[in-house]
Amino acid sequence: MKDMLRTPLARRIGMTTAVAVLLLIMTGPSGTVYQPTAGVVGSFSARSSFFGLFATQRWVVWLALTLIVTGVIRAVKFLRARVPQVNTVPREAVAAIKAPFRRRSIRFSSYGVVLLVALFIPALISDNFWQQSIVEAIAVYVLLALGLNVVVGFAGLLDLGFVAFYAIGAYVTAWVTGALPLHAPFGVHLDPFWAIPIAIAVAMVAGILLGIPTLRLRGDYLAIVTLGFGEIVTIFLNNLYKVTGGSTGSNQVPHFVFHVGPLKYAWGLGPVPYYYLTLGFVVLFLLAFSRLEHSRVGRAWTAIREDEVAAESLGINPLKFKVMAFAIGAASAGFAGVMTAAQTNFLSPQTFLLSVSINVLVLVIFGGMGSIIGVLVGAALVQFLLTYLDHYAPYGFQPADIYIYLGALLVATMIFRPAGLIPAKRRRREIAMAEAGEGHMDELLTGDTP
Amino acid sequence: MSDDNIFDVQNVTLRFGGVVSLNDVSLHQRRGEILAVIGPNGAGKTSLFNSLTGVYKPQEGTITFTGEPGNPVSVIGRKPHRLNGAGIARTFQASRMFSALTTFENVKIGAESHRGLGAVGAMLGGPATRRGEKESDRRTIELLDFVGLRDEANTLSASLSYGARRRLEIARGLATNPKVLLLDEPAAGTNPAEKLDLTELIRKVRDEMGVSILLIEHDMKLVMSLAERLYVLNFGSVIAEGTPDEIRANEAVVEAYLGSSDTGTSQATTSPDGVEVTDAQG
Repeated sequence: MKDMLRTPLARRIGMTTAVAVLLLIMTGPSGTVYQPTAGVVGSFSARSSFFGLFATQRWVVWLALTLIVTGVIRAVKFLRARVPQVNTVPREAVAAIKAPFRRRSIRFSSYGVVLLVALFIPALISDNFWQQSIVEAIAVYVLLALGLNVVVGFAGLLDLGFVAFYAIGAYVTAWVTGALPLHAPFGVHLDPFWAIPIAIAVAMVAGILLGIPTLRLRGDYLAIVTLGFGEIVTIFLNNLYKVTGGSTGSNQVPHFVFHVGPLKYAWGLGPVPYYYLTLGFVVLFLLAFSRLEHSRVGRAWTAIREDEVAAESLGINPLKFKVMAFAIGAASAGFAGVMTAAQTNFLSPQTFLLSVSINVLVLVIFGGMGSIIGVLVGAALVQFLLTYLDHYAPYGFQPADIYIYLGALLVATMIFRPAGLIPAKRRRREIAMAEAGEGHMDELLTGDTP
Repeated sequence: MSDDNIFDVQNVTLRFGGVVSLNDVSLHQRRGEILAVIGPNGAGKTSLFNSLTGVYKPQEGTITFTGEPGNPVSVIGRKPHRLNGAGIARTFQASRMFSALTTFENVKIGAESHRGLGAVGAMLGGPATRRGEKESDRRTIELLDFVGLRDEANTLSASLSYGARRRLEIARGLATNPKVLLLDEPAAGTNPAEKLDLTELIRKVRDEMGVSILLIEHDMKLVMSLAERLYVLNFGSVIAEGTPDEIRANEAVVEAYLGSSDTGTSQATTSPDGVEVTDAQG
């Protein structure tokens, strides 16, 4: 019996159960002085709605959620397990060249599964609140997380001011559509659709301008400087009243209109067209970033992350590649800004606080730094749970409470899955090697390390 | 300052606060020469390497690198990646692999580092990018063949033996098409058979690729059999210069560095299993 409890599986089940019960109780009703156990008991037995589909006891909902999450992780792992392991690839030069391409087809097939599910989400979920939230709270954060993943995951730069690029994207959209007190450039009011390339370009330039002076710094220093940058942008937005509309912001941003020749499509109030537009861009960024990861740029980032001195000695200019990571990450944040501004028609500095940067960082760490599919699934999952919490707020739940959960999630991730939900191969190796003090790599390659 | 010299070091002094790491060092390396720098621990050998590759900036003196005859480059003040572009490649005392990458990828990083940036091309997967990838792949295989690591192409670099890591570092350096290759204790932590292979390989690099070799080494047997000329450093100063035979006979050197033991078998501070050497930060 004692031996059975010591197996890794038993341990994992035990730990997961402990965390699940903890979360269940944390999110449940509160007890009172007179009924101290009501909170704990109620956490399990209180009735709760499962996505508005049916009402049942809370513990059933949690169990169902857990099973779904586990199923998704297993499915993705199964797909990834078919990736030829590094050591088992036939040791011929030709195979060495072909291996990356074979890997790629499998990588894209796991994206395909996710895409297929994503395509049918609006059909499956008809509830207007959820459709709205999926665009506003989930898709936009997925975009932000994908962008930050390039900076934090690929290039290994801790950026705590990522929200700045998000804000820049949104305010540029408002500016070129004439929604700000500051007049639109040349007095031409563009449709937000054409703001997309402009906002992305401006966000990238901002990334380069911030990057060139600051990326000479390393680690904690960089984190502090970027944190400051995020704050500066928010303060500007608040105080440059005649330019940005100050703390009230603007509610004049029009919806997207695509109009070229005879083709015309207007995005209205409904969230579904926005969902598909965002999905399209998520797919674009996904493909672009995935290619980038497996190109010389991605390898150079890995080299710099692992050993900057050695990378430099091989002719890699670290500053150039770091600035590039900043600019590319900023592009996707800039686009997320356009989406937010155009879809909600509204923007104010209150949308672009430090807490957004931290939220996105937690998504990246939880999903798995450097793992595109991990960040995608992780971000969608966490944002869904946060929205769910917010919407079906248990008694006494404050909106700001989500940061308690984010914090707990971050701690749990670091303890149980330091490389994230679906770890990136390179990252997993790095972490495992750091833990083992290098060496013993073979079990990592052959075994399915938890 | 002759065009025949690939490296010309004149009166270089490097200080860290009050500590003088290199004291008025002058030396030169002829094109195509296998040159060795020896000396006890703390003599300034690695500081010299770091000065030659742009990692450290000496306060005094000049270092001129002439990769192509008639095109001298001043080393001091230039960034390491620029110097690599000019033709200086190096390895490190504690091998610094990109351990999460395979052998193949490690070498490929060197092979592709001087191609255009191509981030946009990489994202779009354009034909130029694919051509570049293929070209780098071909070059990488060529070099893996050259150093005899083709069978380990898909092995993670962290799981290679010490000897194989040294070879990998040499291949990685060569991938950047250097004119001179600086080897910082290439034989540290290797076994006698691997040492022999390494000696062969280093000579082959010079003979077949025409790359000049500058090496630091504690293993006297290897140095004496490989180097055509040696400099001896002690406390940051050059105390002797000459052919292996001259150095062996030099009283000052024997006293300062080799002690009274037989020069042919002295292992100095390299531990047999190489553990200390690997843990040390280059």
